[in-house]
Amino acid sequence: MKFRAKITGKGCLELFIHVSCTVARLAKVCVLRVRPDSLCFSPAGFHGLREAGLWCEAGLWCEVRRGAFQQFRMEGVSEDLDEIHLELTAEHLSRAARSAAGASFLKLQLTHRRRPCLTVAVELASSLGRARSVVHELPVQVLPRGAWRACLPPSLRAADASIYLPRWRTLRSIVERMANVGDHVLVEANLRGRMTLSMETEVVSIKSYFKNLGNPPESAGAPPNGDLESMVQVRVDNRKLLQFLEGQQINPTMALCNIWDNSLLQLVLVQEDVSLQYFIPAL
Amino acid sequence: MAAMLKCVMSGSQVKVFGKAVQALSRISDELWLDPSKKGLALRCVNSSRSAYGCVLFSPVFFQHYQWSDLVKMSENELDTTLNLKCKLGMKSILPIFRCLNSLERNIEKCKIFTRSDKCKVVIQFFYRHGIKRTHNICFQESQPLQVIFDKNVCTNTLMIQPRLLADAIVLFTSSQEEVTLAVTPLNFCLKSSNEESVDLSNAVYSEMFVASDEFDFFQIGMDTEITFCFKELKGILTFSEATHAPISIYFDFPGKPLALSIDDMLVEANFILATLADEPSRASSPQSLCLSQKRKRSDLIKKKAGKNVTSQALECISRKAAPRRLYPKETLTNISALENCGSPAMKRVNGDVSEVSENSVSNTEEVPGSLCLRKFSCMFFGAVSSDQQEHFNHPFDSLARASDSEEDMNNGSFSIF
Repeated sequence: MKFRAKITGKGCLELFIHVSCTVARLAKVCVLRVRPDSLCFSPAGFHGLREAGLWCEAGLWCEVRRGAFQQFRMEGVSEDLDEIHLELTAEHLSRAARSAAGASFLKLQLTHRRRPCLTVAVELASSLGRARSVVHELPVQVLPRGAWRACLPPSLRAADASIYLPRWRTLRSIVERMANVGDHVLVEANLRGRMTLSMETEVVSIKSYFKNLGNPPESAGAPPNGDLESMVQVRVDNRKLLQFLEGQQINPTMALCNIWDNSLLQLVLVQEDVSLQYFIPAL
Repeated sequence: MAAMLKCVMSGSQVKVFGKAVQALSRISDELWLDPSKKGLALRCVNSSRSAYGCVLFSPVFFQHYQWSDLVKMSENELDTTLNLKCKLGMKSILPIFRCLNSLERNIEKCKIFTRSDKCKVVIQFFYRHGIKRTHNICFQESQPLQVIFDKNVCTNTLMIQPRLLADAIVLFTSSQEEVTLAVTPLNFCLKSSNEESVDLSNAVYSEMFVASDEFDFFQIGMDTEITFCFKELKGILTFSEATHAPISIYFDFPGKPLALSIDDMLVEANFILATLADEPSRASSPQSLCLSQKRKRSDLIKKKAGKNVTSQALECISRKAAPRRLYPKETLTNISALENCGSPAMKRVNGDVSEVSENSVSNTEEVPGSLCLRKFSCMFFGAVSSDQQEHFNHPFDSLARASDSEEDMNNGSFSIF
């Protein structure tokens, strides 16, 4: 089993730092799946799927495609099982990645000194031109093949509604303010580009209306009663939504959400070679 | 007449003063105010006696600085000089120096005033429009501790910009107690300590290499690796934000204390940290490593209760009285009893200490090698007083001695902090 990758360039580094920080915010322990053409993060020990396909916990999956790396070499467990699954503490990786802010490059390598580690090596350019180097050895656990199935995001039927999200900063500040008032938020959308965020307490009710958002063309979503105007809704935990929206400034090339009526909310973010998808179950 | 202190500061001076208090609060919960002709010194030492901080404000730092000692005449013509023995709780003084930026902007003047015969320190802030804020803090009578550390004889000296230290601190998680500094004449490396049982824990191992030309001054006499407690570094970093002077680091072989200092003419800050002494054999089992961990953690004031012993070795320790504790009934002779409870490791150490002391009575040159090697060196201890019956272990394994009088210094090259 071998893995070696290198990221250079300010944009790619920032994106990688953002991904590792987001993963650390939303999961304590994560699984890093090294595939021939990408790196995937998923929550460890995810038991989100109960019987009857109902979700009970939120989960984040990230994929960083090979294009984000200047160098990417891996050799899986065997030829037909060309993957490596590693379990690690997400905060270790985010901390190590953050030390790469403004660095010339970041290298990842699977190593084995006294125990298996993911070595993160960062080279920082100092003001005098001489480089300063930082190395972190993150302890990892190599997962046996039996545990591999749990790392894949569950496959789902087509969403009831699929819509592009409004401007990230706007969305975040609205959800932030709502979080000050209450714990739940109702997310509604239809296939005519309309989206509503609302929340209600005994004392106050807040509703934000978005229109002309646009719907993804290939969305095979069909609302239950065939009416494109009807709103599909899901009520979710506001704090979970906020945790996903917070973080560094990013400008996603594509940001959309999928709603399964009264059961699930999925937020999808794509920026260059990175994609993040976050599932929040209905309350 | 009484020992007294009176000083006046402007807004920007208060900011530096406040930063010093904040920096020292990271080391200890108590602070000594120690005025002398050299200026006003703020001193503190941590509970395990493995870190000491002192910030000395020279008289010209203040707008006005006035102090005096009390000279007590006694019958046998031995005048004793009683200095101000003032110890303040950090909980009392730290909240006064909050919001330093707003203090700097809004106050016209700050006065600090105390006398040894009153029981309080008075801190007054004078704002515009005649507004005055007064704080009265009760102090405890307690002799300040000092440390002697000769920076000039240190083999290794570095001078760094505070930025470098700040970058280094960010690397290590707060769960990491100790870091190791490894230097060669060409480079500098700060890394997670190897002493923890790395194999078993889920801890990240980190290291940072810095090239020698990033330093303002880089003089390494010999390849050295020293290990010390990492969180105490944050204290000096807090203070460095107040001045713009670089931080100097002085150190030697493992076991000898490490000094970090900032000197910008008006203020001199010194932080002395104990370092882990070398293990006699590195191939010891994890069991004994843990034991030695406990030993170094219980960095004891090495003294033996009981016997009234005077020996050659003890004479060089000055006559300063040992600091009194918060609870008067807990005398220093009982400290070893306190240390006895707890882990068996601590008991054993005490056992060793008493054994050593027995030997030391007869032959002051005897060196109990294994004992001193497996501890943080004790940097200092309060001196023996004729009133109390504490007695101290060999000074050979303390590399800095407490003293309050110039005459104890035979050569002027020692610098007292």
